[in-house]
Amino acid sequence: MRDEWAVTADDLVKRFGDRRVVDGVDIRVPTGSIYGVLGPNGAGKTTTLRMLLGIIEPDGGSRTLLGFDAPRDASDRVGYLPEERGLYPGMKAREAIAFMGALRGLDWKTGRARAVTLMEGAGLGHAVDEKIRKLSKGMAQLVQLLGSVVHQPDLLVLDEPFSGLDPVNQERLEKLILVERDRGATVLFSTHIMSHAERLCDRLAIIAGGKRRFEGTVDDARGLLPQRVHYTPHHPDPTIAAILPADAVAEGNGWRFELPREGIERLLGALIDAGHGISGLSIERPGLHEAFVRIVGEQEAQA
Amino acid sequence: MTPPQSRFRRTLRQTLTIARRDFIATVFTPIFLLFLFAPVIMGSFGAIGGLGAASVADGAQDKARIVAIVPPALAGPIAAADTRLRGVFRPEEAPPVLSTIAPLADPEAQARAAFERKDLDASAVLYGPLDHPQILYATRGSRAADYLVLLASTTLAAQRLGGTLPAVAATKAAIARQGTSIGGQHQSAFFAVFGIFFLTLFLSGQVVGTMAEERNSKVIEILAAAVPLESVFFGKLLGMFGVAVLFVGFWGIVVSQIGALMPPAMAAGFGDLAPAVGTPMFVLLFAAYFTMAYLLLGAVFLGVGAQASTMREIQMLSLPITILQVAMFALSSAAASRPGSWLATFAELFPLSSPFAMAGHAANSPGLWPHLAALAWQALWVTIFISVGARMFRRGVLQSGSAKPFWRRAKAN
Repeated sequence: MRDEWAVTADDLVKRFGDRRVVDGVDIRVPTGSIYGVLGPNGAGKTTTLRMLLGIIEPDGGSRTLLGFDAPRDASDRVGYLPEERGLYPGMKAREAIAFMGALRGLDWKTGRARAVTLMEGAGLGHAVDEKIRKLSKGMAQLVQLLGSVVHQPDLLVLDEPFSGLDPVNQERLEKLILVERDRGATVLFSTHIMSHAERLCDRLAIIAGGKRRFEGTVDDARGLLPQRVHYTPHHPDPTIAAILPADAVAEGNGWRFELPREGIERLLGALIDAGHGISGLSIERPGLHEAFVRIVGEQEAQA
Repeated sequence: MTPPQSRFRRTLRQTLTIARRDFIATVFTPIFLLFLFAPVIMGSFGAIGGLGAASVADGAQDKARIVAIVPPALAGPIAAADTRLRGVFRPEEAPPVLSTIAPLADPEAQARAAFERKDLDASAVLYGPLDHPQILYATRGSRAADYLVLLASTTLAAQRLGGTLPAVAATKAAIARQGTSIGGQHQSAFFAVFGIFFLTLFLSGQVVGTMAEERNSKVIEILAAAVPLESVFFGKLLGMFGVAVLFVGFWGIVVSQIGALMPPAMAAGFGDLAPAVGTPMFVLLFAAYFTMAYLLLGAVFLGVGAQASTMREIQMLSLPITILQVAMFALSSAAASRPGSWLATFAELFPLSSPFAMAGHAANSPGLWPHLAALAWQALWVTIFISVGARMFRRGVLQSGSAKPFWRRAKAN
């Protein structure tokens, strides 16, 4: 029977010197989901992931990985792509993938066979016997990613997986993450690029300054901000401002303002009654980016 | 949740995966051939240097002399005594050639002048009556002076016995000892200590830079996530030990083949090696202590080297590493020559010198149980050194300032 949570972290704390780089973070990653850890640079995402994986020990709090208190006990069922990519330059791509599988308990023969299949699937079939030092940075990064899934882990942890990839490879990676989720794996990844998280994540946590500022679905995050209305009258008329909400801002021929709590119907009636008419009207939900900026603060979001 | 046995098996598997990678990455490279044949290169340069030095020494030897300023009547008897005495010396240990000179009015001045001559290189000069000779000698001529005293004494004795010493017709027969001699044991002890020192000097120092590859290529993060650092360290140590065994095996076979072609007299010299535990057990213990010496020193070097972040820092470590090894050799050699002394006990207990000293112990003492205890003691220290090295690495390089000690983690598991 599978656990409800693939990963749990309760009140995780990590200090480097006097600085608390992770300060009481709680995370619960549902099994079989894609979970994003979002945050600006230096927020503590990587340190949190490293503690979850047992690479470093927390100074406080507790965590479980696939139901194990000691992350090492789950290591054969976990795949990991670190933020700092690294492979042995003298190894052939196929061997590098098989080696990463062997570290996680996969026998070499199966690892080599799967490496070929995975590389062909990723469009790297021609580079199977190339040494890592001869591959481009993006190709080497893909090889490392394939090495992290070759043993078909139950949990895939990716630290800033999209950084350094061109748009084509970013799309490949998104597909691979979805394939892994469909296979039944749980995917936990960190990023500071909202578009990927918005497209992929079932749930996410936003971390800033070492603290968890938000936890929920993408919709939950976007729901923290009111929807925006973009209204265009038939004719420009400065007196219209008296009817519109106080936060309305002129934008070209139209106006932009937050959706009133009581809804838009009464306001539209007033505008029509006053003869301004409706030339254009759209109601937009705020994106994850806006929600992120709101949650972590303008300054930290730009860090 | 995981049964202890499967945890052990997983750790073993991970360790061997790391060891396999390191072994293959080291052996299947062109550089390895250079490493494997390094003794040939070293031997070639040694031979060339030796030939040069020998030819220089021969040139000097040709002119080296001891001088006896004696009346012409004594020139013959003293030369005969010299011939007789010289027979017991090996050629390389024989005193310089004897020259006899007839005395003039002032023999002392004549003797002093002999040291200034350009056509010979006098190391000691005798003048005066043979029962009260005066001997002058130059720097490093003390033994030559002693030989001149012996020469004078022998010549005088022959004269008093009518001109020649009595002839002795001896029958010499070589016998093989049934037991081990003290000399043979000491010789075996030194051979064991030196053999292990020689092998580890060349081989274990290579471990120092092995973590640099993981640090530079940033693979360490992948390893640290998948495998306990202790397994990474021990795996790397085992991988390099495999390389060392390959090296020793290769040269062992070569040397054994050369040994079969060795002249009987030289081969008989090895017959003097008589370890107290018996030759088969001695060979086994030698192999075991070489393994432990490699693992102990390698674990220390690996742990220290893992802290270095640049090749320059790693290169800087080579001197202290060599000094440490030479110090362990000196300590163990001294211990081997004084079996049972407090120094020997200290060397046998001190972890880094223990394998060397215990190999010497095997040559000097027949008991076997101390070796079981020593091997267990040394294995414990290998574990400690690896754990401390991994902990320092985790703390210093992976920046985990508060990692629990291994014993607490083991307890928690």
